[in-house]
Amino acid sequence: MKKILILLAIALGAAAGAYVVSSAVNREEKVVQPISFNHALHAGKYKIPCMACHQRVMMGDRASIPNIEVCGACHSTPMKKTPGELQVYQYVSQHKQIPWYSIYHVPDYVKFSHRRHVGIGKLDCKLCHGDMTQLTAPPQTQFLQIKMQNCWNCHVKHHVTTDCSHCHR
Amino acid sequence: MPKYGMVIDLNKCTSCQACVTACKVENNVQIVSEDDAQHGRAMFWMKMLTMEFDGDYPNIKPKTLPRNCMQCDEPSCIKVCPVRATYIREDGIVAQIYPQCIGCRYCMANCPYTVKVFNWDRQAQPKEVEKTYNPDVSVRPKGIVEKCTFCVHRLQDASEKAKAEHRELEPGDYVPACVEACPVDAITFGDLDDKKSDVSVASRDYRAFGLLEELGTVPKVRYLNAIE
Repeated sequence: MKKILILLAIALGAAAGAYVVSSAVNREEKVVQPISFNHALHAGKYKIPCMACHQRVMMGDRASIPNIEVCGACHSTPMKKTPGELQVYQYVSQHKQIPWYSIYHVPDYVKFSHRRHVGIGKLDCKLCHGDMTQLTAPPQTQFLQIKMQNCWNCHVKHHVTTDCSHCHR
Repeated sequence: MPKYGMVIDLNKCTSCQACVTACKVENNVQIVSEDDAQHGRAMFWMKMLTMEFDGDYPNIKPKTLPRNCMQCDEPSCIKVCPVRATYIREDGIVAQIYPQCIGCRYCMANCPYTVKVFNWDRQAQPKEVEKTYNPDVSVRPKGIVEKCTFCVHRLQDASEKAKAEHRELEPGDYVPACVEACPVDAITFGDLDDKKSDVSVASRDYRAFGLLEELGTVPKVRYLNAIE
């Protein structure tokens, strides 16, 4: 009986370990955002440029996910009373930060700079993030998977540096 | 393409170790346990070496020498790396790519200046330290060799900033943390190929010397001899 218990414990431990490892590298894990943000409405219908909300694109590494300071500029009073908008209004009126989940994660030993790619390289956001103006619900997975192979292909294609230390730190 | 180099004036250096601390904080260099430190596993990219002591107790005056990676033009470390985790960049900086390093420590054995350090273990850091990690530099895992990179992340940031502002990189834009922290300006940093730059002039001074130059490593970190 004892032996069976020990074996069971080992098997469970291995399964748990495999899960932790797989979830750490799984790029297809679906993420559900707290509010069903409609990109098609904001960026598509009203033609608000990406940088109006993702304000730090030209300033540094991260593009920043907008929070109540940005949303509140328009949504300090409810406009149309859709359930999503009421949720935003609640967060804004209560001065509570919206707990957005970030989908795109770059490991800490990789330097990826939005300023370098979008600001200096003049790349279109679509190239990595897809056409957001068509999405009525927030994306749940990465459009272009964060893999070195994807970075490498683009760098070779556009004759950009492939020196290791330019991206690895 | 500039060639970055450094000149440390031993006449000006007061051994305050501000550069040592600045380097450690800037580059997230691990603080090891007391036990490990006693076994010679303390980690410093910039280290204050004590050469000798002058005078009698209590008026002792230690002679010290701040020593970081010499960023050699002919580095002996890159010749033995089996995975090209360390190599020399076009601008003369000897880079160390952590995800590529397999921790064989051949480079450490071959470095005549013993500037490379190995992560023997990953210790829990004090909470205050973890909060102040520099996001521009990765936290190296166990089993990785690391060394001074002339704060290459600062170069990336400065050149990116300059490009975004449509201008060339100017001399003061990029300085490593140790140079910035030195309270007596003992460390000069810049482009060695620019004959008029401060660092280039200082490197040709009659007091200038390089550590173990006779080995032919051509160090780009040079010292100005202290004159009594």
